Amino acid sequence: MTLELASLSTTIRRFRKIGIIGIPPLAVIRAANEHNLVIHDLDEPLVREDLEAASPFLPRVYCAILRTAVVNALHLELDAIYVDTGPGKCDCALHTATILAEALPIPVICTRNMDNTGYGTPLCQARHPLLDRMQAITAGVKSAAPYDNPPPVSMPTAGFWGVPPRDFSILTLFPETTHIFGWARCMENKTPADHDLEAQFNPLVPTVFFAQSFCAKTALARYLAKKHPHALYLDVDVHTTGSARAKVQAFLELSGVEP
Amino acid sequence: MILGDFGTSYCKFLDLSTPDPAPTIVATKDLPRDTRVDLATGHNGKRFSARYVNELIALARGGEAMIAEDDYVLLDCGSRDIKFIKYQNNKLADMGWNAECGASMGFTIELLERYYDLDYSTLKVPEQTFSVTCGVLGMSDIFDTVISGVPVAEAVARFVKGIAINAYRFAGSPSRLYLSGGLCDNPLFVGSFPCRVTPLGRFVLLRGLETEARQRRTHTLP
Repeated sequence: MTLELASLSTTIRRFRKIGIIGIPPLAVIRAANEHNLVIHDLDEPLVREDLEAASPFLPRVYCAILRTAVVNALHLELDAIYVDTGPGKCDCALHTATILAEALPIPVICTRNMDNTGYGTPLCQARHPLLDRMQAITAGVKSAAPYDNPPPVSMPTAGFWGVPPRDFSILTLFPETTHIFGWARCMENKTPADHDLEAQFNPLVPTVFFAQSFCAKTALARYLAKKHPHALYLDVDVHTTGSARAKVQAFLELSGVEP
Repeated sequence: MILGDFGTSYCKFLDLSTPDPAPTIVATKDLPRDTRVDLATGHNGKRFSARYVNELIALARGGEAMIAEDDYVLLDCGSRDIKFIKYQNNKLADMGWNAECGASMGFTIELLERYYDLDYSTLKVPEQTFSVTCGVLGMSDIFDTVISGVPVAEAVARFVKGIAINAYRFAGSPSRLYLSGGLCDNPLFVGSFPCRVTPLGRFVLLRGLETEARQRRTHTLP
């Protein structure tokens, strides 16, 4: 089922609880906000279920974010799911949408987010614990409201490039003055298909180029890490392993980044 | 102050309070459970000390102390994992720690030596090699090769060479590398690298801990 904007409001008012995978267009979020729908971001771990529950539907060696989305979709009582399958997401999401549409008795609606009006990236450049800022950015996908009282821009001492990780615990290793780049920055800007913005980094600060294992963005992360003069490329699957944690710690400490 | 590098197969210690500190080695399986040190590294280290330095940092600090160059690659091959540090212009340029796909390579080399009663110092570096990415998976290649009629010693030598080449590629295929870990004492392994190798021995991480300990002591002095 594909989205037709003209009938969006008519369609969405029939729902009370929807799930989203990726970032559907603002028109969807705005309509959902107007009708006071509950929005669940299915990309985040929301239910206490083993990821194995996704295995009948997706291969075990697959993006942990989408496996998480499938587990959420199976266990939450939703009225519909909006899945962005445009250039701001990936083919894996498209295939996941196809599978969910057959597996679930609810509409699974594919969108193609081409929003290009930037909301700004204040949280990406603020001084505050990285984990809190990433949580605020991911929570922000459920609202179409502009940002009020943006925090001031900080002087960066490190960079985190990438998507919001499946396991946020890795973010606790970074200093408060870490700037966020990559798709997470596109999320805050509400332009998930802005590939130019996604490819930006600050060559003056040591930067971890992070990607989820088995994600297409691993190629971009590694490519950009090679271009950056002081970078660590890192891919992590479901949980942050001890060696991944140690690599980040060592990279930041040996690069002279103050905790 | 006692320093400890708690590895999978062996633990290495250095007591800085002795006049001429010299490292000692204890097999991990023989280590008393109540062992305590002042500063630890190694994947078992957190159990034995309140102060822990992660292995990559210990390796890097050890390299800084032992290598008098600005550009180098230092590769540590342990029982359980492989890790490397690359410095350019005396600054960190790259690093890696392969604890999953490079798992158990050193452990498997030692296991095979005992199982087949081999002496690695007498084995020649073979012409052929296996494509080895993991100690456990590489064992299948050995068994298949032996079944095909190749002598056990030759099959194991191919396996060891495969491990060396895998580690070399993991470290970025440098023209020269410094080697850390117990495998420095294995001439077959050292000779199997397709580049110049300078073995630094098995106490590089301990040396890194020593550097960290002295820095911390300096920082805490009034």
